[in-house]
Amino acid sequence: MIHFDHLTYTYPGSHHPVLADVTLHIDEREFVLVAGPSGVGKSTLLRCLNGLVPHFTGGKLSGSVAVAGHDPIAEGPHMLSRVVGFVFQDPEAQFVMDRVEDEIAFALENAAIPPTEMHVRVEEVLNLLDLVPLRDRTLDMLSGGEKQRVAIATALAFRPRILVLDEPTSQLDPQSAEDVLQALVRLNDEVGLTVVLAEHRLERVLPHADHLIYLAPPSVEGGRGEALNGPPRQVLHQMDLIPPLVALGKELGWEPLPLTVKEGRMFAEEAVSDLRFQVSSSNLKPETLKPETALQIRGLSFAYDGAPALHDVTLTIGPGELVALVGRNGSGKTTLLRCIVGLLRPEHGQITLAGEPLVGWETADICRRIGYLPQESDDLLFADTVAEEMAVTLRNHGLADCPPIAPDDLLERLGLGGLAMSYPRDLSVGERQRVALGAVTVTRPQILLLDEPTRGMDYPAKRELVRMLRGWQAEGTATLLVTHDVELAAQIADRVVVLSQGEIIADGSVADVLATSSFFAPQVARLFPGTGWLTVNDALAGLSALSFGG
Amino acid sequence: MLDARVWVLWALTTLLAASSARNPLYAAVLLGVTTVVGTVCAADRAQRVPLSPLRFAALAIPLSALFNGLTAHIGDTVILRLPDWLPLLGGPVTLEALVFGAINGLTLTVIFSGFAVFNQVTPVRDLIKLTPRAFHEAGVVLSIALTFIPQTTRSLKRIREAQAVRGHRVRGLRDWLPIVVPLLVSGLERSMALAEAMVARGYGAVSDREQPLRTQGLLALGLLALLGGWLTWLFLPSWRWIGLGAMIAGAGLIAVVVWLAGRGISHTTYRRRRWTTRDTLIVLGCGLTIAATLTPLPLVNRSTLYYSTYPALTLPAFDPFVGLALLGLLVPAVVDAEGQADGIRSLRPEAIGGVHESSGQETEDG
Repeated sequence: MIHFDHLTYTYPGSHHPVLADVTLHIDEREFVLVAGPSGVGKSTLLRCLNGLVPHFTGGKLSGSVAVAGHDPIAEGPHMLSRVVGFVFQDPEAQFVMDRVEDEIAFALENAAIPPTEMHVRVEEVLNLLDLVPLRDRTLDMLSGGEKQRVAIATALAFRPRILVLDEPTSQLDPQSAEDVLQALVRLNDEVGLTVVLAEHRLERVLPHADHLIYLAPPSVEGGRGEALNGPPRQVLHQMDLIPPLVALGKELGWEPLPLTVKEGRMFAEEAVSDLRFQVSSSNLKPETLKPETALQIRGLSFAYDGAPALHDVTLTIGPGELVALVGRNGSGKTTLLRCIVGLLRPEHGQITLAGEPLVGWETADICRRIGYLPQESDDLLFADTVAEEMAVTLRNHGLADCPPIAPDDLLERLGLGGLAMSYPRDLSVGERQRVALGAVTVTRPQILLLDEPTRGMDYPAKRELVRMLRGWQAEGTATLLVTHDVELAAQIADRVVVLSQGEIIADGSVADVLATSSFFAPQVARLFPGTGWLTVNDALAGLSALSFGG
Repeated sequence: MLDARVWVLWALTTLLAASSARNPLYAAVLLGVTTVVGTVCAADRAQRVPLSPLRFAALAIPLSALFNGLTAHIGDTVILRLPDWLPLLGGPVTLEALVFGAINGLTLTVIFSGFAVFNQVTPVRDLIKLTPRAFHEAGVVLSIALTFIPQTTRSLKRIREAQAVRGHRVRGLRDWLPIVVPLLVSGLERSMALAEAMVARGYGAVSDREQPLRTQGLLALGLLALLGGWLTWLFLPSWRWIGLGAMIAGAGLIAVVVWLAGRGISHTTYRRRRWTTRDTLIVLGCGLTIAATLTPLPLVNRSTLYYSTYPALTLPAFDPFVGLALLGLLVPAVVDAEGQADGIRSLRPEAIGGVHESSGQETEDG
């Protein structure tokens, strides 16, 4: 169905190829997962399938690609649009119309498809993607997951044989992401569509994939852009950045390597079968007492035009404490952060910062002492260089002459030492986010509020963020981390707070809250219920203690 | 859902009524009407106009009053007197001039409000359909620009907040730089992403056809005739009628070229709106308003349409018949409120059946 033969591609203006000598084969009706760190060439590889590379991007290309009997390089994206449906990362950036049905019909109208056939096709994709109830809705009124399903429907309107998706869930919350993935699985199973999907959160997709292509980063032997490809279990053995379940399976030599919690449970039960009760008390994250408070919120309530968003929220964070705030979409997590920094004025309640009430403070003043990283951290960046971004924040706060932390030292800590003179928007997703983090922490705030910092990040970028947060934590910075990423919360949080419909419904140690939750439990907790283990390290330490004890 | 052409008529009638009825009482009635229509018909639509009519009024009325007050030095009630040596501004500032300016501001607000409603209620695809087939591409560009407005408004809000959390305060013009730069960059990034998505969806594959030389030649000829006719009309009084004939012939030729060029564009229509009784009722409503404001009708005292604040302020007159006729513009709110559910049903493609917009383009032009 798809064949790459010694494909090498270099972007215009670059001296190094992003894809070097890639040869791979994909069969018809396969569900293919393309993995690899940011910037390694996943999007480029996908764009070769419909000829966007090199027709839209320019650049130098050698080797050949064959897609369902077509040559995308010779025929170009216009011709290939009938064979390959393409879905991009941000659903909003793909829409031309303002209504669901009009959007799906738009490409068909432009291709002069006769109306009778057009109606059949539109009905078909509306049904396939479960969009019939939403057909007359305006796109603005849809959730992120629904918008992405409309984008998929639009891509399928030409009845392509291949559907290519470039990180379609990276902007979505876990529930919406799951809806989109389920739709893809259905299209693959029931319609027999070949699906090629690039994705960072492997744990979501691995259970459904027939074929895994891993684009190795430059540091891994094999060179830049060379693809490891084959059945998922085989390729996973050669990858180092993998989901916790697979990492644990590899460490413990489980064969065949489990890809779902269900598959892993059999091995797990064997490992702890007789000793469950002995380990249940071994909570590996003892709670530390934090008598002082860095940030205190009491009885906070907020409503958007009369619709309650937060109700009587009371929360205390101590110095050096890292609290993860979890909850489903619309539960009020971001609203709470915006109330704390004064972007929203609460109706009731009080916020105190190290004992000082924040009454009548402007956002700019609050943010000198509280570093707030919003979800769309790119919005912060506008200067010509990374160093200038730091300088702007310092100037804004009148700290240019006496910075609380030397900007160069901060950049070094953020792993941006060599990029001080780079243009921020040219950097990778992870690097851009670290620049934004630098821009809000150069005032050395006592408190950090982070809103979904790992959205769209690959495993190395995440690992880097964890390292930095731990460093700040050790220096006494209190952190409130809003996240959907329970694996991250399990890894670094001291405490977890669950928000639901604007109210705190759970507040306790990570083990107490996450391990017992059916919705928020990380993979390891699902694998070893009742043990209190949350991360791969917890499980390995616990199991080795068991075998030592046994 | 009402026909987009009906909304065009409604917006033009509002414009016509607002500019003919220079009486603040009628302007207030019109503003009320457009507000009600906007509230009823555009309740669930995304905000495409970055400024609400209320905010527009808050800007337009005082500014217009101030401008007229400072430049028109007539009227009996002098509030203050500016030194005569000031060019344009020197002279008495009168209450009448200020009120006259404020009435102008009110009229502008009515016009703005009418077009804001039109913009809000018309689906993007209908706006594209309103453009002639030859200008299909331009229609698509316009529609993209319209869908960009709400996205850009949201971006602007987000970026302002993002800069505020870095301690940024907007005090002067220079302070807008950290807001404008990310806004422009994100807009450009979005444009590139959209362009890529459209290419991936095959957009432009069938309408890239070059216009034949014959069409281009005819267009040039038409423009030449139009220009030549106009110059003749202006400068050669004895040849005036020939000039007029040339202008008509030129315009006709251009219309034919546009029609010919449109035929060359392969494009089909997913669904075409059906003309309903509701559309007819709105046309009748607009007709009533136009009749009362433009034609001499028995019972209607058209002199009340004109009101002047000069030389001294008086109470504006109000004819209930004119007031009632202006309510003809309220019909969309009445019929849309009761017919929204039916409208949605009547849009279903199966209820309409296949409609092919032009002949001879059944096949794909790959």
